[in-house]
Amino acid sequence: MEVSVMGSSQVNFGRNDLGCREAVNCSFTKNLVVNISSSLKNSKICVGQSVKLGGKCLSRFSLKASGCSQAEPVLSKNNRNPKQTDGVKLFVGLPLDAVSNTNTVNHARAIAAGLKALKLLGVDGIELPIWWGVVEKETMGKYNWTGYLALAEMIQKLGLKLHVSLCFHASEEAKIPLPEWVSRIGETDPSIFFKNGSGQSYKDCLSFAVTDVPVLDGKTPVEVYREFCESFKATFSPFMGTTITGISIGLGPEGELCYPSRHNPSKMNNHQGAGEFQCYDKYMLSSLTQCAESNGNPLWGLGGPHDAPGYDQPPMTSNFFKENGGSWETSYGDFFLSWYSEQLISHGSQLLSLASETFHDVPISICGKVPLVHSWYRTRSHPSELTSGFYNTANRDGYVEVVEMFAKHSCQIILPGMDLSDNHQPNESLSSPELVLSQITSSCRKHGVEILGQNSLVANAANGLEQIKKNLSGDKEMSLFTYQRMGADFFSPEHFPAFTQFVRNLNQPELDSDDQPMKEEIRVASNHLQMQAA
Amino acid sequence: MSTITIKPFIGNYLRRSPKLHPNSKKAPHFSLNYSRRSLFSGKANLRFTDYRRRRNLLLRASSTDAAVIETSEEQSDVVFKESFSLKRPEKAEGKIAIRLDKGNDEENWHLSVGCSLPGKWILHWGVHYAGDTGSEWDQPPREMWPSGSIAIKDYAIETPLKGEAFQEVKIDISSKWSIAAINFVLKDEETGVWYQHRGRDFKIPLVDCLDDDANTVGVKKGSGIWSGSLGKLSNILLKPEAAPSKGESSSNDGSSVKSRRLEGFYEEHAIVKETLVDNTVSVSVKQCPETAKNILYIDTDLPGNVILHWGICKGDTKIWELPAMPYPTETVVFKNNALRTLLQRKEGGNGSKGLFTLDGGPSGFAFVVKLDENTWLNCKGDDFYIPLPSGQHQSKENEESNSSQIVNRSPEQSQAGSVYTDEIIKEIRNLVSDISSEKSRKTKTKETQETILQEIEKLAAEAYSIFRSSIPTISEVVSEAEVLQPDVKVTSGTGTGFEILCQGFNWESHKSGRWYKELHDKAAELSSLGFSVIWLPPPTDSVSPEGYMPRDLYNLNSRYGSLDELKVTVKKFHEVGIKVLGDVVLNHRCASERNQNGIWNIFGGRLNWDERAVVADDPHFQGRGNKSSGDNFHAAPNIDHSQEFVRKDIKEWLRWLREEIGYDGWRLDFVRGFWGGYVKDYLEATEPYFAVGEFWDSLVYTYGEMDHNQDAHRQRIIDWINATTGTAGAFDVTTKGILHSAIERCEYWRLSDQKGKPPGVVGWWPSRAVTFIENHDTGSTQGHWRFPGGKEMQGYAYILTHPGTPSVFFDHIFSGYRSEIGNLISLRRRNKINCRSKVEITKAERDVYAAVIDDKLAVKIGPGHYEPPGGHQRWKMAAEGNDYKVWELS
Repeated sequence: MEVSVMGSSQVNFGRNDLGCREAVNCSFTKNLVVNISSSLKNSKICVGQSVKLGGKCLSRFSLKASGCSQAEPVLSKNNRNPKQTDGVKLFVGLPLDAVSNTNTVNHARAIAAGLKALKLLGVDGIELPIWWGVVEKETMGKYNWTGYLALAEMIQKLGLKLHVSLCFHASEEAKIPLPEWVSRIGETDPSIFFKNGSGQSYKDCLSFAVTDVPVLDGKTPVEVYREFCESFKATFSPFMGTTITGISIGLGPEGELCYPSRHNPSKMNNHQGAGEFQCYDKYMLSSLTQCAESNGNPLWGLGGPHDAPGYDQPPMTSNFFKENGGSWETSYGDFFLSWYSEQLISHGSQLLSLASETFHDVPISICGKVPLVHSWYRTRSHPSELTSGFYNTANRDGYVEVVEMFAKHSCQIILPGMDLSDNHQPNESLSSPELVLSQITSSCRKHGVEILGQNSLVANAANGLEQIKKNLSGDKEMSLFTYQRMGADFFSPEHFPAFTQFVRNLNQPELDSDDQPMKEEIRVASNHLQMQAA
Repeated sequence: MSTITIKPFIGNYLRRSPKLHPNSKKAPHFSLNYSRRSLFSGKANLRFTDYRRRRNLLLRASSTDAAVIETSEEQSDVVFKESFSLKRPEKAEGKIAIRLDKGNDEENWHLSVGCSLPGKWILHWGVHYAGDTGSEWDQPPREMWPSGSIAIKDYAIETPLKGEAFQEVKIDISSKWSIAAINFVLKDEETGVWYQHRGRDFKIPLVDCLDDDANTVGVKKGSGIWSGSLGKLSNILLKPEAAPSKGESSSNDGSSVKSRRLEGFYEEHAIVKETLVDNTVSVSVKQCPETAKNILYIDTDLPGNVILHWGICKGDTKIWELPAMPYPTETVVFKNNALRTLLQRKEGGNGSKGLFTLDGGPSGFAFVVKLDENTWLNCKGDDFYIPLPSGQHQSKENEESNSSQIVNRSPEQSQAGSVYTDEIIKEIRNLVSDISSEKSRKTKTKETQETILQEIEKLAAEAYSIFRSSIPTISEVVSEAEVLQPDVKVTSGTGTGFEILCQGFNWESHKSGRWYKELHDKAAELSSLGFSVIWLPPPTDSVSPEGYMPRDLYNLNSRYGSLDELKVTVKKFHEVGIKVLGDVVLNHRCASERNQNGIWNIFGGRLNWDERAVVADDPHFQGRGNKSSGDNFHAAPNIDHSQEFVRKDIKEWLRWLREEIGYDGWRLDFVRGFWGGYVKDYLEATEPYFAVGEFWDSLVYTYGEMDHNQDAHRQRIIDWINATTGTAGAFDVTTKGILHSAIERCEYWRLSDQKGKPPGVVGWWPSRAVTFIENHDTGSTQGHWRFPGGKEMQGYAYILTHPGTPSVFFDHIFSGYRSEIGNLISLRRRNKINCRSKVEITKAERDVYAAVIDDKLAVKIGPGHYEPPGGHQRWKMAAEGNDYKVWELS
């Protein structure tokens, strides 16, 4: 009964903001017919004020109705696991350079004001990037957490939750380098960094091939990361589980699990290319050689595919990636791509394992970030994903093994790009963020791996926020969404009002049928309940 | 849907003028200043006498100067009686209506802007021509000017609104002028308050190629994007019933979005004008001899409910405490340190009164007056404090003294905004757990919701403004510099060598009459931009309002503000880590009286010199001193510095300025007029942190074209510096001149001299060169020698990356260049470029000049191509703009 009424109410009220809001409340009242008819009347009166499009309304509708499975008649079929009792938690990321190289808080006053604004807005928590290059800057094993501790305290005082991202990479954008001592080692032994086919190094993170090789003054990167994590755990123990509710562990360039294949050293912003394979540093090559030899094809181990395209060459005309009869489909291709993706997964697995071991005794969730490599997705060979290390093609689901790896260590996956929609991608790149997202999410659902969403950019807010809403309200079962990130753009008059609107729409009321307010106070009550999340 | 509240963006600090504060009902706003005219702007609630940060909600009342203090002659038991005048804000709400109509055809349009509030309204407006980049205003074409319009500088005009009840101005627009947009703000001339649209100019786009500024009016309505504004948001959510759907403005849902053709529209924006109404509160204290109790009687003519927020103070402290029980009726305890008592309404409805009986113990009675949640009245920024007789504490506190250090006060005032926010957060929590009646929850929720929205907006605006400047805070940079430069020697000629100067005024700055206050407000901002020294305008009594015709040197009340305001401002700059230079005019001085021959050469004030202090070689002033040691300035008597008594007086005066005002150093006006050796004498006597002299004479031109070789010109400046034995630096006029030619004529080769060095003073004696591209004389509204327009950033890219001590002109900081300048300053600081940094010129060709400084920065200016040596492996781009680029080592 309720289901059918709700179904029709969506149709009726879809046009109208006010009507929609009230329709939700109706579903909880005993007095269905009366209320709906009155809100129908109301909605007619208010047509002049209609400001929202139907799509928005729909999404809000389903959000608000969460917790009551009948309220989602359309989606309930897929929704086998309706555990979203309290909806999506919303986090906002702090600026990448929230703590400066000298371990002081940058823009402390702005951050303090910003945090308060967000708290008042009802945001649940804050994401804080913690940099290896800041904390363990000068010498190995010497940690300085002061700046981050100050921020954690600030966040705790405001009653916000904290999700910490441990960043083992450097950021050009935020001008945060790797630790000085690591860079020094890199100067004498550049092979600890990735190298592409033309011999250029990518120096913003360590090559996956050295993850368990003692290249850092006799220690392996895994050991160094582990000690870093332990120091973090000890230092922040008062916050663990209370303020700090989650940790993500940096898995590669920009913290994401992938090769720096799309990092074009010539800095040309060419959307055409699909990136290059990054397997030319000493350690990578030796692993490849070994693998090829044990495979009985030593010639395959001399380097990456010779017919792969360069950064700015269109991939589909190259011999390696071409749609039909490309090298990727040959047995050599399979050999190489399997090895290439195994390196990535093995690296990821080692890091997630060290994280879950280190933090096994604290009640926080551990996550890692997997990029949304969406360009060239609508081809058979998926060239961008291949160069990034995901052996995902028309013939093979390359994300299953990634998701399994996360499942094995009981870690959650952070997926960025929730703000990207297919409509806004350039046609010629055959890109599809939405399809990649749905491929990964369905894998995750199968393996019971939880997804935490992120957006890719503050800019482009209007479309982006729409898309995020769509993604959050879909069947993606996200428990947490982190919005990236605080800064001038974020608080600008162009963006912040839209974000405010977004948050307010997100914080759906958790109505209890006993606490149902009177008809004329519905608006007030929903305001009230929005603040509960605050 | 047009209930966006307009936030008047400039506060007016004169006592009698309206004050602004958030309208409790519907004034969500961003109080950011985007305007190029932001030199007029400021925080709406500066409390000049009090450095502590205060909430907007507080309002000031002033104790009347003629406070009636009666001693206990007539009534022996009255021990205190005083009447304080209060300024109560009164709001008038109205609307601004904007209508765009089609004329006879598609080519002609009419824009009308009207206002429903009484007042003398002026439309301050400019246009944006199609094809123009940037956000600068332009003056509209002459034919477009409505009658009565006057030009404001060269970029705007002002047109008065006409009409009786509803004032209006109409502007005709023709497509032949290819105007892309009209920008305006509304000004109330009576009060001097500006009204903007959400913190920015109103912008009426006429061509759709404009960027989607959030301040556009009249387009994209109903698309849902625009409705994201907080202003609207709160109104939609809070009281939809009050949101009128007016005319076309809300009914053309979405349809206008697709076809972005110019369409007529009509919009209304709410406007709140506030005026201050005079009220008084009088307090009298009687001592009751029998009970040893004090009876305090308060009487006020404030209308409506008046709540007294009060506490008692003991001993010499001014810490608020609760008095002993019992409390008066209608009193509630607030936070354990104050009481709130609702005063009794007087019969007849005019005002309220209250009676308080207090024990003999307390030494004082402190209070503020609360009218409603957002309106508080206090005494010149401090609490009202009424001394109570209690034996040892008979002496009356001086209400006027602002220097009192009050440790604690009522919680709303005592701490910065954070406490307030914390309170809100707490209130939200209380609210959630509050299970009182539905009714109370409803009202409470609404109120809280409004407050929260406003608070969110304010915080977001604050965060935005800081993030936007994108420069790490000064303290970090300074500490870094200190660590890395431990052996910096400060000398008066150079300071530490790392100074970055800000010229803190322009030729118009005296006009507001409160320039010091305005600068005071900008101190933190200037500090966060990275400035370490500010040059303030000449402070003395002067015949000309700009201050360069000084008269009584010891009278520092000028058109820029009073002596006290100057001191407060200097102190403020010191607090934010900025040194302050005083602009001292030593060359000449205006007389106060004529001598027996009718010649103006008798000086007034403390330095009552006569013709003996005037140089002998200027016939106008019949001086009886020696001949001038330099060039003469003919408009006023030139001072004869060769005389001992003159120098002694000047030294004394300068020392007084150092001590009394707190100046750290000097900008010396017109030093061409007297020998540099005297300057040395003055500097040694005053030991400034930094000093710079203005030695401005003409460059060498041949047939109207500037000579490449300006060595003679820079030699004269160097000679002067030499005469001071390097105790002062000098403005590098040579560099400015050469930059003019190089940029204007695209002759960038001029930027290298024959020896491959910079061609200005900076090439010869960089540590004494103060480089600049504009000042109050060359630019501003005088424009004697204006830097090539639109190319200013090339100039700054040069001086802010090169050695010498760069000086940035006020007008450029508060303009569209702000962020670019800020970026260059942070680059300079980050790379520790200082006045002695090494320059290696790597290119000086027709269309491009490039140099590498200290092997840390590479810079190029000019349209030509340049890549720093080593390419992008070694360098990464750190700043880029119109024909300039700067790289940092990667």
